[in-house]
Amino acid sequence: MDEKIKELEKQYNEVSIPKELDFVVENALKQGKKKRKKRAPQWLLGSAAAAMLFTAGLNVSPAMARTLSDIPVVGSVVKVLTWTEYKVADDSYDADIKVPSIENLDNKDLATTLNEKYRSEGKALYDDFIAEVGDLKAKGGGHLGVDSGYEVKTDNDQILSIGRYIVNTVGSSSTVMHYDTIDKKNDILITLPMLFKDDTYLKTISENIKEQMREQAAASNQEKVYWLKGAGLPDEEVSDEFTAVKADQQFYISNEGKLVISFDKYEVAPGYMGVVEFEIPTDVLKNDLVSSMYIH
Amino acid sequence: MKTRNAFQHEEVFVQLIREQKERFYLLAYSYTKNEQDALDVVQDSIQKAMLSLDRLENVEYMKSWFYKIVVRTSIDFLRKHKRLHVTDDDTLQYLTPAQEDIYENVDLEHALDELPIMYREVVILHYFEDLKLADVANILNIKLSTAKSRLYKALKLLKIQLEDVKGETAHG
Repeated sequence: MDEKIKELEKQYNEVSIPKELDFVVENALKQGKKKRKKRAPQWLLGSAAAAMLFTAGLNVSPAMARTLSDIPVVGSVVKVLTWTEYKVADDSYDADIKVPSIENLDNKDLATTLNEKYRSEGKALYDDFIAEVGDLKAKGGGHLGVDSGYEVKTDNDQILSIGRYIVNTVGSSSTVMHYDTIDKKNDILITLPMLFKDDTYLKTISENIKEQMREQAAASNQEKVYWLKGAGLPDEEVSDEFTAVKADQQFYISNEGKLVISFDKYEVAPGYMGVVEFEIPTDVLKNDLVSSMYIH
Repeated sequence: MKTRNAFQHEEVFVQLIREQKERFYLLAYSYTKNEQDALDVVQDSIQKAMLSLDRLENVEYMKSWFYKIVVRTSIDFLRKHKRLHVTDDDTLQYLTPAQEDIYENVDLEHALDELPIMYREVVILHYFEDLKLADVANILNIKLSTAKSRLYKALKLLKIQLEDVKGETAHG
């Protein structure tokens, strides 16, 4: 037999067998035996399906959720809980993904939509991570980390702002933020465009941010630097200059009712600046705002 | 009568799985390339097999019958999860940790992984799992002639020149 086939076979057999294999196999055998003995796995499937329907029903059917929430258990306080957490802790691969869940929002459709989004994004993040680790391992190993979670930025009578972050670590790290801001009184999800009369806010906000960037750069003796001419860097080094905020720029509303615009790491500044935020003075915005209900 | 058969089947099956679990895991891993997913495939395969154990007519076929289940479960898994990661060379270089260049076997390093699944599975089943080409064909649900031609193509891709093909001499 050819040496090379032998060598390939050796490689194939060198894949390490996880400790869990014994447990998984024994468990599967036990489960399998049970199902066979019952000789009627149908009812088992049936009850499992019923349990699933119940859980799915809670999430999918507003009617069912409402019926259940009518049963008084606890006061209806809007809460943000950790719904699930994915964890991987290996020598060179770490993942910690916390998936938030909004509870007790009167508008169940809104809560469901957001929670479903959080869950599917959390799951996708985890799946991607696992797939990437698999790839890396197959290619000889490496380091990979993902840390995702959430912070409640604002929680008062009117506003609930949740920020979810994803930090990817591959040598250096990148951070991405996603905010969701909810009007708790009216149960609506607030978007940036709906706060303003028309598109002029984009320009107003962008100009104010540029001003703030230049001020910060000057005040910090060029320690703070932004991708903008006159904001800490020589003009010729500014290649991808910040021009304007996007219509769907990430934002939240602070406890004091101020609009805060958030930029991901690297988006408008070098990596060491991290995620940067700008609070926009309400004075600057007042002509563009639809009302002073949220921002004041 | 049938119940007794089934009962004996079960004992044989449990024994087979316990003895060969590492082999089945490796086979699943060759598809999923991921520990957790391979474990899932093994688990699903065992449960699927036990539910249809009664339909297996001859205990002698059990091993290749179970290989078939593992292969199908793996492929189903890949189909469901469509994990195709296309990475450009630069990113790959960036992500891959710096390594000392080792020149021996350099052409063999990952050679198997780079083989398309349809060729890789033939090589694995025939050479590493020691199955006859006819059984390989049966497991993969392809014709014997197809199995043969895939094996030749695989070897060609692996740039391996063999004086004789094992399947022809050793297994007849």
